[in-house]
Amino acid sequence: MNEYIGIAVSFVLAGGIAAAMVALGSTLGKKHPTSEKLAPFECGNDPFSLPMGRLAIKFYLTAILFILFDVELVFLYPWAVVYRALGSVGLVEMGVFLGVLMVGFVYAWDNGALKWQ
Amino acid sequence: MSDLALLVPELILAGMALALILAARRIQETPVAVVGTVLAAMAAALAAGWVLSWGDKTGFGGMITLDGYSQFFKVLIAATLALTALFSARSLEGDQVPRAEYHALLLLSSTGMMLAVSSHDLLPLYLGLELMTLCSYILVGIRVERPASNEAAIKYFLLGSFASAVLIYGISLTYGVTGTTDFAAIASALSKHGTGSNLLLLVAIGLVAGGLAFKIAAVPLHAWAPDAYQGASAPVAAFLAAGSKAVGLAAMGRVCLAAYGSEARFLSVVLAGLAGLSIVVGSIIALSQTDMKRLLAYSSIAHAGYALLGLVAGTGEGASATMTYAFFYVFMTLGTFGVVAALGERGEKLDGYRGLAEQRPGIALLMLLFLMSLTGIPPTAGFAAKFVVILSAVRAGYMALAVLAVACSVVSAFFYMRVAVLMYMNGPQEAAPARFPAAVFAVLAVSALVTLIGGLSPGSLARWAVSP
Repeated sequence: MNEYIGIAVSFVLAGGIAAAMVALGSTLGKKHPTSEKLAPFECGNDPFSLPMGRLAIKFYLTAILFILFDVELVFLYPWAVVYRALGSVGLVEMGVFLGVLMVGFVYAWDNGALKWQ
Repeated sequence: MSDLALLVPELILAGMALALILAARRIQETPVAVVGTVLAAMAAALAAGWVLSWGDKTGFGGMITLDGYSQFFKVLIAATLALTALFSARSLEGDQVPRAEYHALLLLSSTGMMLAVSSHDLLPLYLGLELMTLCSYILVGIRVERPASNEAAIKYFLLGSFASAVLIYGISLTYGVTGTTDFAAIASALSKHGTGSNLLLLVAIGLVAGGLAFKIAAVPLHAWAPDAYQGASAPVAAFLAAGSKAVGLAAMGRVCLAAYGSEARFLSVVLAGLAGLSIVVGSIIALSQTDMKRLLAYSSIAHAGYALLGLVAGTGEGASATMTYAFFYVFMTLGTFGVVAALGERGEKLDGYRGLAEQRPGIALLMLLFLMSLTGIPPTAGFAAKFVVILSAVRAGYMALAVLAVACSVVSAFFYMRVAVLMYMNGPQEAAPARFPAAVFAVLAVSALVTLIGGLSPGSLARWAVSP
């Protein structure tokens, strides 16, 4: 356990110094807020918004299709690692697996899931 | 590659489902989907019998087994699939359900069922049951235009996910205790423990039994069934009542005998509780139903209880009694739902059966046969089935349970025969139903034939109903 004490001390010190800096800055510093200054600095979207915002349902379909390929990749990685050990049987099995996934994709395509109307 | 041969029936069904999905947009207005489904089901049933001729085998590292038990249920599942597909036509037209997708889901659900009954390991069992239920959630809600259908699907989905979580929790605890998920390995690991000594194991067994009890809609895990059946179209409700129940019973039997056999005493108590509660609650609540599908849902809950009576004994004979029960129950419930589906909107309400005997005497007679069988009146298969399971409970020493089952049978006669009274002793209030399609007649004929043969020669199944 002893070797962890140093890490704990450094955590406490780092946390303490950071907290002290923020506390001193916010109590002693002068404040002249403008709306520009209060905006989050270069952080992308507005981090806070009410949950009434609407999202097109079309994104949902895209997300589902994305999962199709995501699952495919999840299985391809471990397969690629043991590819040599599996030999030609492994190749055929992965081909069948990809084929089954492609049937799902073709179905979605065929039924207009990729049309953005 | 020889391992794959064990799964030929599953591969046939899955292959047909993929073909239907690929061609979905082109075959929507044609009967290709239903013909393909029925052919695939027949091929799967034949294949199931054919692979059995090689003798008992296991494959995929002992995960999948091929024995009389699994093939018996595979044939039963194939029959359920074919009959459901045959009498779906009318409800598909009425609600503009996409046919190819509907049949593909039926096929995939049956694939999951077959995988579940042939697994000899908790993980493929779970996988098969999940494939079955995921497809049935969609099937229940496939009539998207109807709010009741959507509501039923959401309820079924939420409760079903909960039950799946319970099942997988039981599986993980079993793995924690024994270090394996293979049935034979679990049994040998348990034989080293003293019976009833490990509390964690008893919790695990209780959770697995609970998860499976949901699939067969046994009280207290029955709440989904009435809502799901009412919201679903009649063929889908029939598919759930027949298929899901048969598979749940098959899995329960295999798990009880092959994996947790050494804890038979604890299992008997759990199963006797489930069976007794299901019989009483199902029979009594059914008395107050006015919706036909809800009535049949409560009837199916009661029948789940009767079927479990066989497993209470914890013996091979008890399991074959349950197999016999499941077999006959599937045909009589498919026949009943077949009439309900063919009558369309009129068949949904109990009042719709008024005067049916005057308008369609043949149909009324068949309905009467199925209702008698559900009640358990000789000479129907329902009587033979009830007889063997109650006998099995008596032999196991559960005399009180057997008396309760017989008493509730008498109670159930009231609500089944009420339909018969409406058909035969009331004048018609609605216009005569349109002529039934030939496919529906085929379903009714097959179901009636099995119901009659089972009643007249109850031992006819004995050769095939071999326990695991």
